[in-house]
Amino acid sequence: MGAGKTTAISALSEIPVINTDVRATDEAALRKERTTVAMDYGEMTLPDGQKLRIYGTPGQERFSYMWGILMEGALGLIILVDNAGDNPLGDLDLYLTHFRPYIEATTAVIGVTRMDVATEPGLEQYYDYLMQNDLQLPIFSVDVRERDNVVMMIEALVAMLEFG
Amino acid sequence: MLSNIDTEQTHQLLKALIEKSSEINAAVVTTLDGHPCAKEQRDDYALERLATMGSTLMSLGDTITAELKMGTCRNIISENEGGIVAFMHINEDLVLITLTQQLNALGMLLAHSRRCAADIAKTLKK
Repeated sequence: MGAGKTTAISALSEIPVINTDVRATDEAALRKERTTVAMDYGEMTLPDGQKLRIYGTPGQERFSYMWGILMEGALGLIILVDNAGDNPLGDLDLYLTHFRPYIEATTAVIGVTRMDVATEPGLEQYYDYLMQNDLQLPIFSVDVRERDNVVMMIEALVAMLEFG
Repeated sequence: MLSNIDTEQTHQLLKALIEKSSEINAAVVTTLDGHPCAKEQRDDYALERLATMGSTLMSLGDTITAELKMGTCRNIISENEGGIVAFMHINEDLVLITLTQQLNALGMLLAHSRRCAADIAKTLKK
């Protein structure tokens, strides 16, 4: 939650992003004014001309019923973690636990955001966590407002799908 | 989120709705970001979960309505084998969800629910 999923899709999409943001009324309001309650949707064209459809999920666990709906038929997954959140590694653990069957069936890339605001945990700690959980996934420090950063994660995901 | 007084007043209005409308089995008021504020029911539905799902559905309804430039989404109706569920805005931050197990009670469900939503909106404005 607050890791920048809506911003990332907005930075990337070639069409006006469809979003379902509403005013946050809980502790989320301390970090951001609005929160996604259903989904975001955007599109981009890959270099080979194929259209990539990008769906953003709500980040908060109470909306976890949307996670399975949106993962149905998905090619892969990008997990964004807010490094300035209360418990970034705990957030990663929640998402990896929930999405593990999808990750094993497809693949995933992890983007850590706001490392300029909070430098700890560092990327090494994220890699350590993945190793402890027997996962090998690329991890990037990203600024999701920068289109190039988001494209880099997409390219990594496509490469993982092509080459494993 | 609502103050304690607003929550209690909202709960009293839901209680009156369920008491006066024998067709309605359950009613819940939720914030648009999925936090239940008040609920009342005759049965044993998982209303916290319904509240969160209702916020998702209402938001999708608003998004679809905006996409089609059809003004404001008034309500969403889910007609099912076992009953009907109605979702409607109370104001820009709150949603009322009501349900009936009677398949022929859509009109009554909507009429009573709209009146209740208007009463809640009026009470919270005061």
